[in-house]
Amino acid sequence: MSKQKDKNKRPKQKIFDIFKNNFIMLGKVAKHTPEYIFLMIAEGVVWGFLNSAVAVFNYTLLNAIDEKGDFEYAVKIILFMAAFDILAYAFERWYWCVQNPIIKQKLHMKMHRELFVKARSLDLSCFDDPEFYNDFVWAMNQSDRRAVEVIEDTGKLINRIVNSVTLFTILITVDPIVALILFLSSCVAIVCNLIGNKIGFEHDKEGNPIWRKNAYINRVYHLPDYSKELRTNRASELLIKEYEENIEKQVKMNIKYGKKYFVVYGLGWQGIGHITFFGILLYMVSLLARGEIAVGGFAASIGVIWTIRSTLSDLIERITKYSKHSLYIEKYLEFMRFEPQITGGKKDIPEFESLELRNVSFSYEFASHPKYKFHSKDHKVAEGAEGKEALKHVNIKISKNDKIAIVGYNGAGKTTLIKLIMRMYDPTEGEIFYNGVNIKEYDPEAYRERIGTVFQDFKIFATTVAENVMNGAYTEDDEQRVLDALASADFTDRLKTLDEGINTHLTREFNDKGTNLSGGESQKVAISRVFARDYPIIIMDEPSSALDPMAEYNLNHSILHNTEGKTVIFISHRLSTTRIADKIYMFDTGELIEQGSHEELLKMNGKYAEMFRVQSEKYQRQ
Amino acid sequence: MAKEKEPKVKTEKKGKKEKKKKLPFQRTVSNNLFSLKMIWLASPLYLIIYLGSSVTYGILDFLTTGHLLRKIVNGVESGGSISGIITYVAILGVICVIYYLSMNYYWNVISQKLWPRITSSMNKLLFKKSAEVELACYENPEFYDRYVKAMDEATNRLYKVLNTVDNLVMKFVSLSANSILIFIIDPWLILFGVFPFLLGFFKRLDNIANHKMASEHKPSQRRANYVKRTFYLNDYAKEMRIGGMYVSMLRDLKDAYTEYKRIARKYGIRRAIYQYIQRIGLEVVTILGAMLYSVWSTLYVGSANGGMSIGDCIVVLGAIGGISHSLNGLIQNFAEFGEHALFLEDVRFFLDYQPTIVDGDRTASGEGGDIEVKGVSFRYDGSDKDTLTDIDFVWHKGERIALVGVNGSGKTTLVKLLLRLYDPTEGEISMDSTNIKDFTLSSYRDGFSTVFQDYKMFSLSVKDNVLLRPEREGDRELVENALKESGAYERVSKLENGIDNILTREFDDNGANLSGGEQQKLLLARVFADPTPFVLLDEPSSALDPNAEYKMFENMMRATEGRSVMFISHRLSSAVLADRVILMDNGRIAEMGTHAELMEKDGRYAEMFRRQAENYLGSEVSASE
Repeated sequence: MSKQKDKNKRPKQKIFDIFKNNFIMLGKVAKHTPEYIFLMIAEGVVWGFLNSAVAVFNYTLLNAIDEKGDFEYAVKIILFMAAFDILAYAFERWYWCVQNPIIKQKLHMKMHRELFVKARSLDLSCFDDPEFYNDFVWAMNQSDRRAVEVIEDTGKLINRIVNSVTLFTILITVDPIVALILFLSSCVAIVCNLIGNKIGFEHDKEGNPIWRKNAYINRVYHLPDYSKELRTNRASELLIKEYEENIEKQVKMNIKYGKKYFVVYGLGWQGIGHITFFGILLYMVSLLARGEIAVGGFAASIGVIWTIRSTLSDLIERITKYSKHSLYIEKYLEFMRFEPQITGGKKDIPEFESLELRNVSFSYEFASHPKYKFHSKDHKVAEGAEGKEALKHVNIKISKNDKIAIVGYNGAGKTTLIKLIMRMYDPTEGEIFYNGVNIKEYDPEAYRERIGTVFQDFKIFATTVAENVMNGAYTEDDEQRVLDALASADFTDRLKTLDEGINTHLTREFNDKGTNLSGGESQKVAISRVFARDYPIIIMDEPSSALDPMAEYNLNHSILHNTEGKTVIFISHRLSTTRIADKIYMFDTGELIEQGSHEELLKMNGKYAEMFRVQSEKYQRQ
Repeated sequence: MAKEKEPKVKTEKKGKKEKKKKLPFQRTVSNNLFSLKMIWLASPLYLIIYLGSSVTYGILDFLTTGHLLRKIVNGVESGGSISGIITYVAILGVICVIYYLSMNYYWNVISQKLWPRITSSMNKLLFKKSAEVELACYENPEFYDRYVKAMDEATNRLYKVLNTVDNLVMKFVSLSANSILIFIIDPWLILFGVFPFLLGFFKRLDNIANHKMASEHKPSQRRANYVKRTFYLNDYAKEMRIGGMYVSMLRDLKDAYTEYKRIARKYGIRRAIYQYIQRIGLEVVTILGAMLYSVWSTLYVGSANGGMSIGDCIVVLGAIGGISHSLNGLIQNFAEFGEHALFLEDVRFFLDYQPTIVDGDRTASGEGGDIEVKGVSFRYDGSDKDTLTDIDFVWHKGERIALVGVNGSGKTTLVKLLLRLYDPTEGEISMDSTNIKDFTLSSYRDGFSTVFQDYKMFSLSVKDNVLLRPEREGDRELVENALKESGAYERVSKLENGIDNILTREFDDNGANLSGGEQQKLLLARVFADPTPFVLLDEPSSALDPNAEYKMFENMMRATEGRSVMFISHRLSSAVLADRVILMDNGRIAEMGTHAELMEKDGRYAEMFRRQAENYLGSEVSASE
C-alpha cells in the first residue's frame, strides 16, 4: 500500500487500533523494564485512592462543622490526615526523585539499543529513500520519549479514574441529578477534545514545511559552516526576505486553525464547562436556600465538584492523548517490523580465491524496499539516478593477489560498483560470485569481514586512535598491530605529536581534550584500518582525495609495499594514482568500456588514453 | 582548517561557566525587563492585552472561589434574600462565560497575528547580529556555545517570561484578594500563609542540587547522543556495517547509562529529602495547621467567645488549600525569573557584543586596484604559533595569482585576511594605498567574488544561489549566461523548475541535490554573474574530475579577463595558468614568481611540480632532467 494513502488515513484510525498500539507499546515497556509497569500501576491506584481520601476527608470535616460540632472528632480527622500525608509523601518523593528517573533512563537505553541494532541491520538503500529515512530518524528520536509518555499517562489515567469514580460516588449520594449533569458535560468535553486533536494533527501536517523552513534559516545563521558566505556576500538579505514571507504564511495558517480551535475548545469545551458549573451552582444555592442541605454539606459538595472538574479535565486531556500516541507508535512499529532485504545464507566462507561479477546491472530506483518503491516513484528518490541504470552489464573477474584499478569520470558508477561488491546493495540483474559461489549464499556479515574498505566518505569515530584503527574493540595485545598499520598509512609522524599516542582521543564530540585531525590526517587513519586486520581483499575508494601531492605520493608507494599477497581495488578519477595497478578498468556512465594495463590502454588510444592526456597535459607544457 | 583551531582557550571556560550560574539580583530584574521591552517594542498591544487578561483572570478567580463561597454561606446563614444571591451567581456566571470565550478567541485567532511580529523582530535582530560578528567568534568555543543558546532560546524565552509574569500577576491579584478576605476573618491565619516562604531555603537547596545534577549528566548525555548519531546518520551507515565499531558504540551506550544511574541516585536522594520537607511544610503545617486553628476557633472557642463563625470556618476550610497551593506556586514563579535571566543573559551578551572587525568611514570604489600586503602576521586566538608570518606582496590590478603549498601552510588564512574576515595581528593590508580597515565592510567585501573550499549551498533557488541578492530586471538572462559560462547550465536546465528550482532537501522535498562537482560549477557561476574587480577561489576544482577541471579553468581565465584573480589549488598543473605563483610554506612565502621562473630556480616548487608530474609522465620527466 502506498505511503501517501497511509498518511491520509492516519487521523481516522479506529478505536481498536488506538487500543492495540498503546497496548503493544506498554508490552514493550514491560519487556524492557517490568518494574516500571508495576510501579506505574501501584502509583496510579495508590494515589488515586489517596487523592480521593483527601476529598473524603475534606467532605467529612466540612460536614462535621455545625452548631453542635464535636471538636475532638474534628481534631482526630485532622491528625489522621497529617499522619497519612507524612507517610504517603515520603514514598511519593522517593519514587519521583530517585526511582523514576533511573527506570526511565533504563527504558531509554534499552529501547535505543533495540533501535540501533535494528538500524544497523537495515539495507543501505533505506538511507537513500528520504521518506523512509525521515520516519527512521523520527523513530530514533521520539519513540523512547513516546513510550515514557504512554506509561506515565497510563499511570495518571489510572489515578484519575480511581479518583473520579470515588468522587462521583460521593456526589451521587449527595445529589444524583448533579452527578448526572456533570457526567454528561464531561462526555461533551471528551468529544470536543477528540475533534480538537484531529484538527491539531492536520495543523501539524500543514505547518510542517513552514516550521522546517524556519528551522533551516535559523540553522544557517548559527552554524559556522555558513559563516563565511554570510559575511562575504548578500545572501543574508535574501534569507531574511524568505523568513518574512514564511512568517506571513505561518500567520495565515495559524489563524485558519485558530478559528477551528476556538469553536471546539472555546465554544465547545470551555463554554459548556462554565455553563454547567454555574448551572449546578445555582441549583445548589436553591437547595441551600430551601434548607434541603446544610451549609457544611453545601460547601463540601462545591468542594467535591471543584475537584471533579479539575480531575476530569485532566482525565480528558490524557485520554485524547492516546490517539496521538497511537499515531506515533504506529510509525515506530512500522519501522520495527521492517525487514531488511539483504539477508544471507549460512554457508561458511572459504579462503579468498576469486571474485567475479557476471552481467551485473544496478539501478538505485529499484533498490528501495518494495514497500517504499511505490512511493519513490512519485517522489523522485535520487535525482538523476531515476530510471537510469548506475551500472550496465558489468563483467569483471578478480583473482587473488591482483592489484586492480577502477577509473572513470564522476558518475561513471565506480562507487556503486564497490557498494555492490561489499553487498551493501544487491544487483538488479546479474550475480556476484565469491570463489564461484553467489555471495548471497554467505552470511553478509561474515562476507563483509573479508573485505577491508576505505570509503570515499569515511568517518572518524569519537574514540581513541587505536579503536579507530581496529574499527572496534582494542586490547593492549593489539598495540603493535595498530602501530604497524598506522606506519603503513604514513601516519607515524603525526602520531609522534599526539600526547597519548594511539590512546589519544579523536574529535571533540565529547572529550574537550580530544584531537581534531585535518582531512588528510583523518584519511590516513581511515586507511590504516585496512592494514590493521588481515583482509584478503582491500578496497580504496579515492584514497588520496584529501591529501596534498606530497602525501599522496608517499601514500601510493606505501600502499603498494604493504599489500603484498593481497587483492587491492583502487578507485580514482586521478589517473596518477591508478597507473600502478596491474589492470585498469575504465568505466563510463555505468559501462565498462576499456580494460587492460596502463601501457595497453595507452596503446589502445581510447577514452582512457584521452583522459590521461588531459590530466597530464598541463604538466607536459613546461 | 582543523589543525589551526586546536589550541583554544580552554582553561578559562570552566571558571566562567561556574560563575554564570547565578546572576546578581539587579541583572536578573533587568534581563527580564529587557524581554518585556522587546515585546513592547514589537507589539505594545500584545503586552497590554496579556497583562490586562492576567489581572482580570486573577479577579475572576477570587470572585469564583473564596469570595463566592463566603457570599453564599454568609448570605444564607444571615437569612438574607435568596434571590439576591441567585442573581449574583447568575451575573457572575454570565461574565465568566463571556470573558473566557472572548479570551479564547483572542488567543486562538487574534494573537496569532501579533505574536509572530514579536518573534520575527527578535529573530531578525539576532540574524543581523550574527552576520556581523567576526568569524573568530565561531572559533571561540565559549562564545559559540552562548551564541547557539541565544539563537535557540531567544524567542522561546520571551514567551516564557511573559508566561511567568502572567502567572505571577494572576496569582498575586487572586492571592491578595483572598488574603484580605482571610485577614478579615481572622488576622492570625495569615501567619500560616507566611510559613511556606520560610521553606524557600530548601527550594534553593533543591535547585542547586538540580543544577549540579544536570551538569554532571552532561558528559554521559553527550556520549549517548553521539552513539545515536553514529547509528542514524547516513554518513556513518557504511562504516557501521563493516567492522566491529558498533559493538564499541553499544558498550558506550551502556556505560553512559551506568554513569547516569550513579549520578541520578546521588542527587536524587538529596532532592527527595529537600522536596519532602517542603511538601510536609505546605500540606501538613500550613494547610492542616490552618484547618486545626479554624476548627479550634469555631468549635472550641465558639463564635460567642470571639471565635470564628461557622460560615467563616467553612470558607477557610474550603479555600485554604487552594490559597496555599497558589502561594507555593508564587514562590516557584519567582525562581523561574532566575532561570529566564540566565538564558536572556546569553541573548543580551550576544546582542550587545561589539564586533572587533568594524566599518571604516570610507566607501570602497567598485573599481578595485592594487592590493598591498605589508608585513602581515596572523595568529589565531589562543594559538601559540603564528599561522602567517611576515607576508609581503602586492597583488596588482588584473593580475592572476596562484597560491600553492602543502596542507596547513596558511593559504586559506591569507584569503580570509584579504576578505577582512580577520584583521592581521601585525602589519596591514591596503587597497590603493588605503588601509582596508578604513573602508566600510560591505563596500570592501562587495568587491570580491569568492568561492570557499568549504562552500555551502543555500536552500534557495538556483537563481538566488548565483545572485545572492534580491532579483532585479534582466537577472534571469544574467544567471543563465553565468551558468553556461561555468558549465552548470546543462544540469540546471534539466531540473524541473530550471533556475527557479530550490536546492537541497533541507525543507523542500522537491529540492535538487546536486553532486559536489555540480555544486562547485554552480558556485563558479557567481563569479561570472557579478563582475567584481577581485575573484578569490579556494580550491574551486577539488570535486571536479580532470576533464571538467580543465574546461573550468579555461573558461575562467577567459571570462575573468581584466579582473584580479587569486586561486588556491593542490594541483600544480593549474598554477601554470597564473601570471604569478606564490608558494606558501609554514605561514611564510617560500617562493614567488612566474611558473617559468620558479622552475628555473629549481627550488621547492620545482620539486613539487616534478613529483606530481612524475605520476603522469613516469620516466619522461626524469629523462629530461
